[in-house]
Amino acid sequence: MNEQANGDGNRLFFDEHEWKTVEAAMARIIPTDHQPGAREAGTVGFVDRYLSGIEYVYAKPDGSGFEKLTGKRAEAWQQRIDMLRETYAEGIEEMDRRSRESFGDDFRQLSAEQQDRVLTDMEASAPADDETLEEDQATAGFAPTEEAEPSEPAMQQTLTEVELDFFLLLVLHARQGFYSDPIYGGNKNRVGWEVLGFPGPESLAEVHSGRYSVLPYFAESDANRGEEDNSGR
Amino acid sequence: MAGKKKPERVEVCIIGAGASGATAAKVLTESGVRVVALERGPWREPESFGGDELANSNRYNLWPDPLLNPRTFRASEDEEPKVELFCPVPQMVGGGTVHWTGWVPRMVESDFKLKTLRGEVEGASIADWPITYDELEPYYDRVEWAFGVSGQGGANKYEAPRSRDYPVPPMPATRYARKFHEGCARLGYNSFPTPTAMLSKPYNGRPATVQSAFVQQHGDPTGTKSTTLTTFVPDAISTGRLDLRPDCYVHEITVDERGRARSAVYQDADGDFIEQEADVFILACGAMESARLLLLSRSGRFPNGLANGNDLIGRYLTLHEYSAAVGVFEEPVYGWAGGGYVSGSTLEFYESAVDQGFVSGSHVAAAGVGVPLPINFTLPDTPLWGQGMKDADRQFFNHGMAVGVCLHDLPQHANRVELDESVKDAWGLPVVRVTHKAHQNDLAQGRWIIDRGVEILDAAGATRTWPVYIEKITGNASHQHSTLRMGNDPEESVLDKWCQAHEVDNLYAVDGSPFPTSTGMNPTLTIMANAWRVAENIVRQRGAVTATSKQE
Repeated sequence: MNEQANGDGNRLFFDEHEWKTVEAAMARIIPTDHQPGAREAGTVGFVDRYLSGIEYVYAKPDGSGFEKLTGKRAEAWQQRIDMLRETYAEGIEEMDRRSRESFGDDFRQLSAEQQDRVLTDMEASAPADDETLEEDQATAGFAPTEEAEPSEPAMQQTLTEVELDFFLLLVLHARQGFYSDPIYGGNKNRVGWEVLGFPGPESLAEVHSGRYSVLPYFAESDANRGEEDNSGR
Repeated sequence: MAGKKKPERVEVCIIGAGASGATAAKVLTESGVRVVALERGPWREPESFGGDELANSNRYNLWPDPLLNPRTFRASEDEEPKVELFCPVPQMVGGGTVHWTGWVPRMVESDFKLKTLRGEVEGASIADWPITYDELEPYYDRVEWAFGVSGQGGANKYEAPRSRDYPVPPMPATRYARKFHEGCARLGYNSFPTPTAMLSKPYNGRPATVQSAFVQQHGDPTGTKSTTLTTFVPDAISTGRLDLRPDCYVHEITVDERGRARSAVYQDADGDFIEQEADVFILACGAMESARLLLLSRSGRFPNGLANGNDLIGRYLTLHEYSAAVGVFEEPVYGWAGGGYVSGSTLEFYESAVDQGFVSGSHVAAAGVGVPLPINFTLPDTPLWGQGMKDADRQFFNHGMAVGVCLHDLPQHANRVELDESVKDAWGLPVVRVTHKAHQNDLAQGRWIIDRGVEILDAAGATRTWPVYIEKITGNASHQHSTLRMGNDPEESVLDKWCQAHEVDNLYAVDGSPFPTSTGMNPTLTIMANAWRVAENIVRQRGAVTATSKQE
């Protein structure tokens, strides 16, 4: 079922222009180099499916599908998705406006260098001096605490999305689509984990059943006396 | 009431079935007491949890949804409060133990008498605990053995006396813990395996804990981690005396004509209001929500909230802040193995912090960076996006680790929990408004300790290190305490030493709210030990009720 969000022929929410714009922007956020990037991981499909409604919020823990949300939880999620849709719609428009202003064309038509310039401008104009947003960025797990400053790691924070500026939301969703379990439509063929060198589980079912053990990566594991352990420390 | 029958009066009603409520329920029911536990969240089976960082951490599968359960925060009274998810704790049967890694150190003897040892501290309101370490020790022991805690007695050179060792040996060292121990050893510091609510080997009919990468902030689908959901709740249920009602949100505790607590009025999953009467009420909602419930329980007799005649409910709120020194190594350290928190600690910066002029110190331990991982992995000084971010992720993900600190937060009169009448939760009740500003002692102590963490990483051979200093307390540790301070003086405290309200003699609290000080130690083991102690005393008070055993 993860295959459906593969190409834009299977769009659930975005129109074609939005799809291609988000895909292009995410391809600059996690670029393709000698290893796959956001484009190959299918992060745009990940977002498209997320924004399509409340059918894909939580995977079932054994990977057999998605939870059906009900009651207040469903209401909250519908509210959240509506807010995020608005951020995307307005953000894409704004990104195109900046692109046309600076380079005479929509974002997705620009060269990679031009796209980077637009994104850099958007990053710089994210209202980072607003304290509320600053905190939201910090809680987003990776964001700078001040404009153009290097980022500080958020320590053990919970995350919030709905108040994020479009640019930061795009970055967060690119990461989520790249590194989350493939069941959500991104991280195709676990390419994101491959880039990290993270030996994630084959599937949610592997974790759910208890078969997924990372003991070989502990120091005290016999399985771990391999080549990497010859540091002499 | 939509035609629902009013439930039968019960001996004890516990509100909240997390770490403390489940502990109290176990002790009471096993002593023959009939208990109703009202839990506002769901009663989930371990099978409902998964290794899914996106759902669990980023999408509030386990955290409270801030759109349903907002809080507001301000640093001081002059500020306009802002809506934010401040210091959340999972709301479900098992509470915070569901998604924790379970660092469960005991406190040390000095933690119980900070006022006596340090005297007055300017700008703070420190207080002695009305109990000593020795009084709590038997209960620490009981929790460690009944709950299932791994550790190594004697390995921590600063530990307080123990009546016996841990029931199971410590968790195996991860590579990042190994680095931590190496760094400490080179600097002449004592370090030890963190006492952890996991089983290093089969114990008490339970298998060893599965070592997944998805632990901290994840529920455990295998049920092998020690949580109250999988231990004390089933223990209590098996007595036949616990009626555990999930999805039941208590809005108010009513009082009778004599000013004693009479009933808990709650809304059930259908939205119907139900009234549960009981002889005794035990608050176990977490320090913020327990205070909130009392503040919501206004009556002619208690116009400012139940048991709040001295306006102390919600005052002296203490938290902890988690931050760290971060380092990267040439060789992989796999900071995600075991979930990022297994298993190396030191108390070298606990009492010795006093020599540096600080009031107290904090527990320091090895960790992964930006846990949970991998979505939330991040290093300081790395770009937010683009090739630079990708390169940094690729280069450092397996090579980064942290030396984390659980920063002591000194109590202050102005730091408090109140009701915010202008913001309502999804059930229409005013939410918690937090007013909190860190004491300079704590921020300075944090800097000092994080600098020591950098030295440990350097000594272990890190190729690059960063201090991530704490500038303010954001509630990120999810530890909360002191809102219903216990003490011997009814003018200066809400609860007595048995955690019984001075003003309402059939009302108790057993979560973090009774703590007079937060200490620099992860609180849950102490919360559970104290809950056991209080529950046992309640049993004693009502006379030796032998199990009238309602059947099996």
